[in-house]
Amino acid sequence: MSAPAHALSGPSGAAASRAANPVPVMTDTLRSEWTKMRTLRSTKVTLAITAFLVIGLSALITWASVSSPHHGTQAITNPVGVIQSGWGLGWLAFEVLGVLVVTNEYSSGMIASTFLATPKRVRVLAAKAAVLSVVVGLVSLVMTFVNFYVGHAVLSAYPAFPDPALGANNVLRAVLGMALTSTLMALIGFALGAIVRHTAGGITASVAVLFVLPLVLQALPTSWRNPVEEYWPTQAGSQLEQVTRQAHALTAWWGTGDLALFVALLLVAAGYLVTRRDA
Amino acid sequence: MIQVRNVTKRFGAKTAVNNLTFDVQPGVVTGFLGPNGAGKTTTLRTIVGLVRPEVGSVTVNGTKYHDLPAPMHEVGALLEAKAYHPGRRARDHLLALAQASRIPRRRVEEVLGLVGLSDAAKRKAGTFSLGMAQRLGIATALLGDPPVLLLDEPVNGLDPEGILWVRKLMQALAAEGRTVLVSSHLMSEMALTATHVIVIGRGRLIADSTIDELVRTSSGSRVRLRTPMADAVLPRLQAAGGTVQPGDDGAILVSGLEPKAVGDIAFEAQVPVYELTRLEASLEQAFMELTQEESEFRGQGSEGAQEGHGALPSSGPLPSNGGEAPAAQQGWPAPVPAQGWPAGQQGGAPGAPSQGWPAGQQGWSGPA
Ligand SMILES: Nc1ncnc2c1ncn2[C@@H]1O[C@H](COP(=O)(O)OP(=O)(O)OP(=O)(O)O)[C@@H](O)[C@H]1O
Ligand SMILES: [Mg+2]
Repeated sequence: MSAPAHALSGPSGAAASRAANPVPVMTDTLRSEWTKMRTLRSTKVTLAITAFLVIGLSALITWASVSSPHHGTQAITNPVGVIQSGWGLGWLAFEVLGVLVVTNEYSSGMIASTFLATPKRVRVLAAKAAVLSVVVGLVSLVMTFVNFYVGHAVLSAYPAFPDPALGANNVLRAVLGMALTSTLMALIGFALGAIVRHTAGGITASVAVLFVLPLVLQALPTSWRNPVEEYWPTQAGSQLEQVTRQAHALTAWWGTGDLALFVALLLVAAGYLVTRRDA
Repeated sequence: MIQVRNVTKRFGAKTAVNNLTFDVQPGVVTGFLGPNGAGKTTTLRTIVGLVRPEVGSVTVNGTKYHDLPAPMHEVGALLEAKAYHPGRRARDHLLALAQASRIPRRRVEEVLGLVGLSDAAKRKAGTFSLGMAQRLGIATALLGDPPVLLLDEPVNGLDPEGILWVRKLMQALAAEGRTVLVSSHLMSEMALTATHVIVIGRGRLIADSTIDELVRTSSGSRVRLRTPMADAVLPRLQAAGGTVQPGDDGAILVSGLEPKAVGDIAFEAQVPVYELTRLEASLEQAFMELTQEESEFRGQGSEGAQEGHGALPSSGPLPSNGGEAPAAQQGWPAPVPAQGWPAGQQGGAPGAPSQGWPAGQQGWSGPA
């Protein structure tokens, strides 16, 4: 063991040294959060598995649709939807990743270290959300193009079915839109994780928002169901991936705006609660 | 300098910290003591803004923690051993915190070397033993080379070498003029490390003084008088407010009186004095005495060991023992000296000359 005072700077008069201290700013917080993200193997593994499953599952479903005759009709009416059919799972995985980015700090005790280094908690949340958005945005952007070309390749092996071109009406929007929707989904998970502070609770809430509540809506009488379903954020957000406008649904960009507004509200709630509560 | 002012923190119906006020001065190691659940951790977390008090305020060098422009450069804190993600390598953990505070990367290697974790830096922190976790926590606290350090039970889980190292580190830090506040349950360790102590119980301040003063005023402190004519002085000692017990080897033990008073009484009684020695209580005894009524969680049986102490003053800073409750003191289970003094105590707290253990203590090792 080395001598105790070895690497210490020597006497530091508290007030005197304060002026010389480098004052951290948002870019430092961003750098720190990026380091945290990249130094956890679980993040990389989660992203890799997600990419593999989403692309694989989409390809499988696409192939199953065209190779069995009575599913073929759907492939004709909405080929892009068929190609992207594995993305429900992807959205859930991104939500879970978003949940984990915050809850793993709470469950491990890391959050105390984080808030000691950066007591401005909103700044921490903003930096975390930014890093998460960039990572999920870029990964899902690559994924969605790979997914499209894989699906394309499967469809082109069956000449009887239409093969959507990227240049065709709204197809590029659907392909690119998948990255935007995925990022918003990750942010839903992130905000819910910060609100709940518990991995299991955060994931449950995410699943509820994405799958369970929309299912519950099915039980409502149609007159109620349609408007609620129309504005339900995850349903509305998924209109961006529709090449043709759906019945009882918002347009692609109104729907995305609806989802983004929901995300913004959740983030504000998360910021409020995280600042108010004890860490 | 840390200033805690009228801090009250409740968790539901439970008041963890109750109108607590104290200062922590730079240049000395200040021990922060109290029974389990006394509110030490809560207070430390309040100082760094992790916990928000209902009432009161805390400043570090005159500023609230939240408003410090470069917090890690001003305060270093070890609050719980495992304030890291288990899946992250030790070096990466420190790097992330360094980056958040604009601390250069080389400082990470420096603190890793300082705490002896250089060789383990590539290991995931989750594989660390408790002692290694503490070392990583200390490395985190030292990252910004801060003038104020808060350490919550830093020696918890450390091996003897590690304990010695932490003790020297804290003393070196204090000697450099830093403010060091350290909580601990190990009284013998605190007696060696700290100069000043703040004792709390059930969230309230019980004592805020030097260890020296605390120990001297403890009822466990007494005077040993050796004289062939004990019978002649006994009534006079009792009349003066002293409590007298037979000691070993024919000596008598007087509590409630200072050596000077005992000597004067012996002189008045015209008895020969062979020995007049001040026997200091240990910090542990002083602590038990102060906190026994404030202790929330006490094992069965410890009640018996404290028998007869119910009447001791237990609230208000530093009870003086000017015979306030002499009768109660007869209940000491065994003659104090028989318990022996912690060996290291004679060393006092190095680097704190004012401390100086009373000379009388030297006489102890002699005649017994
Ligand atoms: N987050 C919390 N929620 C509810 N109660 C809490 C919380 N934190 C602390 N307490 C309660 O506040 C009291 C003080 O706890 P604290 O951890 O500060 O004590 P301590 O002096 O550090 O104890 P120990 O010596 O055991 O570490 C305890 O009764 C504890 O149960
Ligand atoms: Mg504690």
